[in-house]
Amino acid sequence: MGAASELNLKARELLAEALQLDVSEVPEDAAIGVTDRWDSLAHMRLIMALEAHLGKPVDTDAMVAIEDISGIVDILKTA
Amino acid sequence: MAWIPGTPIRLETENYILRSLTPADATEAYIAWWNDAEVQKSLGFPPRGWTKDQAVTHISKFDNRGRFHLGIFPKGQDEPIGFFSIIREAGSRVVTNVVIGNKDYWGKAVVREVRPVCLDFIFDEMRVEKVVGKVNSDNYPSIFNYKALKYKTEGVLRHHAKDLDGNWIDEVQFGLLRDEWFEIRKDLK
Repeated sequence: MGAASELNLKARELLAEALQLDVSEVPEDAAIGVTDRWDSLAHMRLIMALEAHLGKPVDTDAMVAIEDISGIVDILKTA
Repeated sequence: MAWIPGTPIRLETENYILRSLTPADATEAYIAWWNDAEVQKSLGFPPRGWTKDQAVTHISKFDNRGRFHLGIFPKGQDEPIGFFSIIREAGSRVVTNVVIGNKDYWGKAVVREVRPVCLDFIFDEMRVEKVVGKVNSDNYPSIFNYKALKYKTEGVLRHHAKDLDGNWIDEVQFGLLRDEWFEIRKDLK
């Protein structure tokens, strides 16, 4: 699996955990305002899961930029 | 009927009524929100330790002209579960903040339901050009709610304040322009 695919998978896993779904149930186009389960508490769980995975706080600019899976991937690239 | 400045307002959504609070609304539940550590953390404050008199004084500062303090009432209930404040900062700019004090309603998409009707009032009746939201960087649910309504991230003010543990945190400013809202609301579900 290429690095990009690994990051995408990890992003989907973290999002799945936050949305309380199986990874296979996370839509490819999951996004704020599009995915009903992606609500304010899920978003909080996502950020906290990202910080736990990275072992450090998420940069505010990057955190605010999260709107979909690509935003999560961008943060994972900084690890 | 068009809004008359200085008169209380009443807005309605599918599940909630929002109306201007009065000193009579300084109930034990309302005061408790100001003294609750979890609720106040969302505003970046420690518990205020307010008395009823202080709550009444606070509510009395809102004049329904450039300052509104709207209680959020589930339909059929007399007790609010939170409030939505609207404050005109300058001639054509407004800042808002919303607090859901009743924790039973956390995670129930209350803000996503009530904010649009408040924005309609702000842009249609108050006729301002811009609405601003300011939030501490650790208030993830609030950040989510701004992004869900397609506010623009206008800036991150670095180390703008300290959290309750004394650590520096950033402040994020979101903005929404009048024309932007008119386009966004066309697509709302």
